[in-house]
Amino acid sequence: MSGKSSRRDFVRRSAAAAAGIFVVPTIIPSSALGMGGRMAPSDRVVMGAIGTGSQGMSNMNDFLGLKNAVQFVAVCDVDSARLLKAKATVDAANKNTDCRTYGDFRELLEKEKLDGVSLALPDHWHGIIYTETVNHKLNVYGEKPICRTINDGQTIVAAVKKNNIIWQTGCWQRSQAHFRRGAELAINGRAGKIKLIEVGLPDGGRGIGTPPAMEVPPELNWEMWLGPAPKVPYRGVAHWNWRWILDYSGGQLTDWAGHHIDIGNWGAGLEYTGPVEISGTGVYPPEGIYNAPVEYDFTCKYENGIEIRVANASRLKMGMGTTWYGDLGWIHTDRGNRLTSSDPKILEEVIGENEIHLYKSDDHWQNFVDSVRTGTPAIAPIEPAYRAISVALLGEIAMTTGETIRWDPVKEEIIGNPRASRLLSRPYRKPWELPTV
Amino acid sequence: MKKRYISIILAAMLVAMMAACTGTEKIKTLIITGQGKDNFVWMTRTQAAQQILDETGLFATNILMSPPQGQDMSQFNPDFSKYDLLVIDYEGDAWPKKTTASYMDFVNKGGGVVMLNSKSDPGTPVPSTVTVSKRHDFEVRTRIGNHPVTNGLPVRWLHPKDVIVHGTPLAGEDVQILASAFSDTTFAGSGKPEPVLVARNLGQGRIFMTMLGTPDLDENQASQCAGFIVTLQRGAEWAATGKVTQAVPFDFPTAAGTVLRPDYTGVESDEAFEKLGSYEIGSSTLYLTWLQSQIRKASGNEEALLNLEKKMVEVLTNPASTIEAKKLILNELSWMGTDYCMPAVKGLGSVPELEDAVDFTLKRLK
Repeated sequence: MSGKSSRRDFVRRSAAAAAGIFVVPTIIPSSALGMGGRMAPSDRVVMGAIGTGSQGMSNMNDFLGLKNAVQFVAVCDVDSARLLKAKATVDAANKNTDCRTYGDFRELLEKEKLDGVSLALPDHWHGIIYTETVNHKLNVYGEKPICRTINDGQTIVAAVKKNNIIWQTGCWQRSQAHFRRGAELAINGRAGKIKLIEVGLPDGGRGIGTPPAMEVPPELNWEMWLGPAPKVPYRGVAHWNWRWILDYSGGQLTDWAGHHIDIGNWGAGLEYTGPVEISGTGVYPPEGIYNAPVEYDFTCKYENGIEIRVANASRLKMGMGTTWYGDLGWIHTDRGNRLTSSDPKILEEVIGENEIHLYKSDDHWQNFVDSVRTGTPAIAPIEPAYRAISVALLGEIAMTTGETIRWDPVKEEIIGNPRASRLLSRPYRKPWELPTV
Repeated sequence: MKKRYISIILAAMLVAMMAACTGTEKIKTLIITGQGKDNFVWMTRTQAAQQILDETGLFATNILMSPPQGQDMSQFNPDFSKYDLLVIDYEGDAWPKKTTASYMDFVNKGGGVVMLNSKSDPGTPVPSTVTVSKRHDFEVRTRIGNHPVTNGLPVRWLHPKDVIVHGTPLAGEDVQILASAFSDTTFAGSGKPEPVLVARNLGQGRIFMTMLGTPDLDENQASQCAGFIVTLQRGAEWAATGKVTQAVPFDFPTAAGTVLRPDYTGVESDEAFEKLGSYEIGSSTLYLTWLQSQIRKASGNEEALLNLEKKMVEVLTNPASTIEAKKLILNELSWMGTDYCMPAVKGLGSVPELEDAVDFTLKRLK
């Protein structure tokens, strides 16, 4: 079909024409071509991908599945086998062999001319790579949780604000109708005044014991995989399962906070604030390389009296998902199109013209593309993502220390607890440093 | 050798004197056994139960053997009233009526009972409908989390190589199934959740039933499971007193894996620091988790935290400690340490393998 083949040609033609040269060796991003930061709505967003594991490729495929929206031109990964697969996917989509590959994100950021970058990496890398990408004034589709520590998160938020780029967090539940509907009913008081939000996230699973040091697979650049994290021998755990080790992530709690806590905040107007008091307990595996809590149960109190209880699903009556409890009833929402309430009539309620209407998006990836094209904020900007993961990270600090944590959500600091305050950051291993904004 | 015996005797006397001085009465406990399908099983279980209860320091245990199976039971009529708690590990001939009556009287007047793997009421025949699964690892689910026995336990925990009993009659009011296990048909199970921990109020008394911990002739992991041990200790205290004063230990199993206590005892401080000091990549992380739980427990108590910090510094400054052990300690000190640990931390800065860990710790401690 001519329509299909014209896609690439169109981008090349328009890039060439605007650049005033006959042939261009690389695709120049539309936004870099002097159109006042705005793209023509028909132009494709030129993107790179850093992190091409399961989530990175899932996002890439979601972008490629959009009609005439995105063109990937470069990919980066510390695993050469994954990198080749990612290149193959991009080349197949572009019908050429031009996709450039990088083993070091810094090189990609320096050399490529892009509109945006899709970031999907282990959490311990987020602070550096998210900030660095934003400092390059690139629009970002970034996976949740947006940070491993609160200090990392604050830096990323500051970078996004300063560089005025489009940020979309990978909390795609926001772009599903039933989650939005649940949040909109809650924020408009259809369950009454919200008193409590319960957030059920997955239980932790089986461990793998304490494996010995082993040979690094030849395709993996282990030193670069570790990056700023403590230097340890390879023990068979890297891709995906990093999320069960505290040096890299916080287990199911931090993995899912960006989804159901985020939805909870969205439906209660807590997106741009944080709790004032956090306390609770975690259940840690007594033994094994996987050391993230397998159960957790903590409560966050907010200035306005709302409480958020976050626990592994088996501890909650409603199980997985977000439940807003108001003085008139409750509203529960979860994956699998679940939206239920204490009284079915609540779900039939119409939201009036003068009431709160939440941002509407039917497709999370298209929403990013549209936002980049129009220069308007995406449905999942940086600060709500930071506030959602902050809840989990403050819960983690309460569980680690065994103390009730007092938090100033405006100054964003722990009050009167120097020990707990130290846990707001994880110093980076040399030569890595958190970039300045 | 002689010296060693004397020291053991002295130690025993000291413990006895200390117990007398504190004035806390131990729970007078009678473990009743003597019959069962397999002699090895109940003898092993009885001995394990005694050791497990003694380990807490809360119980004064005696074992009473019934006449062997098939012998005259008419004289089997213990004076239950001298005890606070009966632990019943018995499956065999029916008790005489007067014995059953005095048992009921004991419970009704407020006595506590622990039933170990009992498939029927004490001294009554096991119904033919009761079956058991094949031995396998399974997950236990805490169903009632706010009962004194289960308060603070994980909701999900793994239990090793045990059988699941199906069809135990649980008649009576106020029977609470504290925990259950799904009995998988793959292992000749019932295909549904079966009770494994049960609490029951009867008259003024309390009965705690555990279906876990059936020993085997092989590794005997079922009764070495920290989950079995701890729930037995807690269940016994609750049955005898109505409350539980024992903290949930850090090594209670979780959904992540089973935890064994091969000698039925928990981790002691000196042992933990010693083992921690010899940590290598690939060896047990149990003692680090123990330390982390101790730090958490000491929160808000500067004296207790400093005591832990001193022990941690001892590991740091001990030339026999491994590099990997020092890294673990530095990681904990990085957030909980005080000025006390600074000289020791800085002193390790010149060790090339510890350069990063020391840097990490000092940056955080700033």
